[in-house]
Amino acid sequence: MYKFDYTDLIGGGLLIVIGGAVSVISITSYPLGVVQRMGPGMFPAALGGVLAGLGLILALQSLRRQGERPDIRIFSPIFVLTSVAAFALLIAPFGLIPAIIVSTVIASCAELRIRPVELSLLCLALCLFAPFVFVFCLGLRIPLLNWPF
Amino acid sequence: MDLLSNLGLGLGVALSLTNLFYCFLGALLGTIIGVIPGLGVLAAISLLFPLTFNLEPTTALIMLGGIWYGTTYGGSTASILLNLPGTPANAVTCLDGYPMARQGRGGVALFMTTVASFFGATFGIVLLTLFTPVIAEYALRFGSAEYFALMLMGLVAASTMAEGSAIKGLAMVTLGIIIGLAGMDTQSATIRFTFGVLGLLEGVSLIALAMGIFGIAEIIMSVRRIQAADIDPDSVKLSAIKPSRDEVGRSWFPMLRGSALGSFFGTLPGTGPSIAAFLSYGIEKRINKKPERFGKGAIEGIMGPESANNAADMTAFIPTLSLGVPGSATMALMLGVLMIHGVAPGPNLISGQPELFWGLIMSFWVGNIILLVLNIPFIGLWVRMLTIPYHLLYPSVIVFICIGAYTANMSSLNIWMVALFGAVGFAMRILRFPGAPLLLGFVLGPMMEEHFRRAMVLSRGDFATFIERPLSAIILSLTAAILIWGVMGASNLRKRRIVPDTAPDGPSNS
Repeated sequence: MYKFDYTDLIGGGLLIVIGGAVSVISITSYPLGVVQRMGPGMFPAALGGVLAGLGLILALQSLRRQGERPDIRIFSPIFVLTSVAAFALLIAPFGLIPAIIVSTVIASCAELRIRPVELSLLCLALCLFAPFVFVFCLGLRIPLLNWPF
Repeated sequence: MDLLSNLGLGLGVALSLTNLFYCFLGALLGTIIGVIPGLGVLAAISLLFPLTFNLEPTTALIMLGGIWYGTTYGGSTASILLNLPGTPANAVTCLDGYPMARQGRGGVALFMTTVASFFGATFGIVLLTLFTPVIAEYALRFGSAEYFALMLMGLVAASTMAEGSAIKGLAMVTLGIIIGLAGMDTQSATIRFTFGVLGLLEGVSLIALAMGIFGIAEIIMSVRRIQAADIDPDSVKLSAIKPSRDEVGRSWFPMLRGSALGSFFGTLPGTGPSIAAFLSYGIEKRINKKPERFGKGAIEGIMGPESANNAADMTAFIPTLSLGVPGSATMALMLGVLMIHGVAPGPNLISGQPELFWGLIMSFWVGNIILLVLNIPFIGLWVRMLTIPYHLLYPSVIVFICIGAYTANMSSLNIWMVALFGAVGFAMRILRFPGAPLLLGFVLGPMMEEHFRRAMVLSRGDFATFIERPLSAIILSLTAAILIWGVMGASNLRKRRIVPDTAPDGPSNS
């Protein structure tokens, strides 16, 4: 238990920062126009202000109550997001099969436990099933295997 | 008869071989996804989105519609057998469904909820058929001021009525609108918030956003927390699904009340199937002569909510199809699908694309019959789906999300966006910000800006236009009332409400 609700304090703070940034960018970079003929900057500038205002309310409210410690696990997001990023990196130069294998392997590490047999079978199944659905059934032109060098 | 010829037209579209196949596929996939806990309907629709790119818009919507109502059918299975709601809309079904399963009447409960679902859906479809064209015709007279007011009401209602803090809901709607504005401004061709990334000229991809915030973030939160289920196969043997005559007799009125309640709340922005199901349970318990039976396997306690959530699934399409204003995140996705296929949503949809509208509605009938056939004989099969271990499931889902995002326009940028929104979605879960309002704001944002700017041009910059036009004034005062009630009253109300321990952790189904 924390003295303040830090979760909402951080959340509110982030909203203030994002909202403020949106307003500043809109006002400095895009024409505001007049109300009769609004430019592209006016609507986002106003929204940024609303967002920052809501963030302020949230942050102030959080100071009036106690908060619980959030349950954060570091490894799950790291492995899952890395898996997606690996797919993004590999698909264009190397093709579908390498991308599937690498991201499946990285993704399963999020379990923090390696099951070699099941993992290989899963990779094999996905490498057969995904091309079947997307390339064979839907007729999309994704190269299965590429060698960029 | 005009209506009859339209229904005939729709039936013709819905019964074509292609549409029938995709309707079946959607209903099947929806049931599977509904059964598996840890994969919500929003994630499911965005995951299966890419499969619909090459289809006709009508066929695409028929399939996605099938997924939408299929999950509600399937979700009750997990609720009854595991005490784990497959979707938030099925959460109340746990209260009496699970005790029924413990008493060895799981088969009866599954059978009866399927009947209730079918009953509720049919009720909703009839209303959808009757009211949508009438509302659309009326809405042809709406100007930009009315549309802006309607969208504002939808967004405010959706963010304040949802579970959790109203302030957070409103903040997420605002953030969603801002993200929706990124790309080239349609009126002045100014490029906004792309930070020099050329691929963002057309705006942030709806698919990448939905997949990241609902798919990837959901996986991150579920890894190592979901265990494969352990169920007694004897409790769902086919011989045990026949309800007694007494149970059938006691089910009629709860189904009728549930359907009426669900139909009403389905049309309102921000409420939807989850709230309808909760209210239906509350009402059944209150008016029952022996309320002490509730929570111990009372059949009324599953029949009311299950017909309510399915009726709401159907009537949610009324504002979406008649006005082009979606009331929930799922409906916003449906609208997004239409726009990706180049169909402009709005009151002209029904007269301009009658085969799409009537075909979709008739496909709901067909789809619900398919679900009835799918669910009852194959109950045992769905139960087995629950035993698929999550450690095999989630890497597959990630791979399919990546391929889907890539195929949207054959660029890795979309996959990077999925990763980015996955991180954003994870942060939102940790900070307890709801995701559904963000998606709703994202889809409605650009339309709202356009209508607002147009209304301002027409009124020569006079804000009074929103109050002087009577309809817009009524909608805006309703919005203000919802806002005040949401921010002031609801926070107290929420604390007092006795929430069962299986309550949904967020409105991810609506």
